[in-house]
Amino acid sequence: MKRIFYYIRIWLLMSKNSFMVYITQKLVFAMFLFGKITRFIFFLGFIYFLVKGANSLAGFSINQTIFFFLTFNLVDVISQFLFREVYRFRSLLVTGDFDLILVKPISSLFRVLMGGADVIDLVTIPPLIIALIYVGKMLDPNIYQVILYSLLVVNSLIIATSFHIAVLSFGIVTLEIDHSIMIYRDILNLGRFPIDIYKEPLRGILTFLIPVGIMISLPVKALMGLINPPVVFGSFALGVLLLFLSLKFWNYALRFYTSASS
Amino acid sequence: MKKYLSVFKISFQQEFAYRVNFIMWRIRNVLQLFLVFFLWDTVFSGQDKVIFGYDKARILTYVFGLLIIRAFVLSARAVDVAGEVANGDLSNYLIKPVSYFKYWLTRDLSSKALNLIFAAFETAVLFIILKPPFFIQTNIISLTGFFVSTALAMFIYFTILFISSAIPFWIPEVAWGAQFLTTAIFIEFLSGAVFPLDILPQVFQNILNLTPFPYMIFFPLEVYLGKIAGLDLLKGVVISFIWAIILWIGMNSLWKKGLKVYQSQGR
Repeated sequence: MKRIFYYIRIWLLMSKNSFMVYITQKLVFAMFLFGKITRFIFFLGFIYFLVKGANSLAGFSINQTIFFFLTFNLVDVISQFLFREVYRFRSLLVTGDFDLILVKPISSLFRVLMGGADVIDLVTIPPLIIALIYVGKMLDPNIYQVILYSLLVVNSLIIATSFHIAVLSFGIVTLEIDHSIMIYRDILNLGRFPIDIYKEPLRGILTFLIPVGIMISLPVKALMGLINPPVVFGSFALGVLLLFLSLKFWNYALRFYTSASS
Repeated sequence: MKKYLSVFKISFQQEFAYRVNFIMWRIRNVLQLFLVFFLWDTVFSGQDKVIFGYDKARILTYVFGLLIIRAFVLSARAVDVAGEVANGDLSNYLIKPVSYFKYWLTRDLSSKALNLIFAAFETAVLFIILKPPFFIQTNIISLTGFFVSTALAMFIYFTILFISSAIPFWIPEVAWGAQFLTTAIFIEFLSGAVFPLDILPQVFQNILNLTPFPYMIFFPLEVYLGKIAGLDLLKGVVISFIWAIILWIGMNSLWKKGLKVYQSQGR
């Protein structure tokens, strides 16, 4: 327990430093925030006009489709808020500055995974949650469905954590980070819409191999009361398994770090 | 001319120096296509539907056309210019006997050529895998209009990139922010690169048509699909041409002013 508080204090300190960097560049901060909000509104507008024109999407109404999109955004934005430091890992590797992290008395994985929280994403989380509550209420879920939805979103974040750890590990082995993380995000983007729009074998791949369906579609379907308890237990088991495997991969990948350029 | 031919060759070879980067970039393009393809395939599933003025063959042709026209129009090395202005690397070119605009235009053409080769290959493979209904345009006027409007679109994109890249002359720290807003937000959504713009209400379309954005992706593809023809085609090409001239003049004027305040910061 003492160790957990120790890491929480470190995370708060690192996040405070990260926020202060953003605050020194107010114009850049404003531009990126404006850009992210504009992109969100453009996409929301697209979904609205598309489903309105087509009457439904794979059997889902406008509100249901928007709820899929909002859930995708919630998982994506929280991941980016927490794991923004992953995007900066390559420079640490190619300059050898990762040495300076390895010698510190904290977990090196914790530092490179969560060392630079993104304030731009933090700002967008509260309005996103309000939008989720507003649209979610229209779907008329019961309390059990809301709890299940919340738990499955937490599970989605565990899976997202696993993927970010895997990207970091892959980066140590190959020095390739930028495109790996963007490919992960492109694949996650396929979850903007219900997984039901994809045909087999892509749907199967997105459900089991790269579990976008479990990360995005499953929580929403749980809120709508469309899934069975075994599927829920299976998804939690998958979350734990992926986290375990990604940590193993990290420990394995560390052996490939050569400290080049340092 | 000879020196720009050399720039073209070197730039083409340079793309192969970072093979993983290039392959990853192409994979990303294909992944993005998957989302749009299956989305529209689902919308048009079942009986023969006509939605937003499209049948299934035309909308899926629009989706596949995106892969090709993005390679034509949106593949550009000039996205690096803003960074060069911000970190002072621009100075390296100012002392060389080359036109900076022509240099980057040549590099852009090299990037487009390479991306086009890969896009054509990917389109063929995806076409075999997904087997979509496809609309083949045979009207010579529509095909000519498509190529002319695409050429104008490439030029419009180039000038917009250079205009946004001029901002760091005055505010160096916003180099990336300006590029992000211009390319990833406004051009991506307002050009029709994510969805055909005619799904929007007419009032939005009327406003958008006053801007250069629809003439980069949406207009050329609509011309190919035969949805824009006759006088509307001529009108669109003339508007594209006018925008190209306005943006060219604006770009030159902005860069002249920018170079006067350029301090080669970081050098």
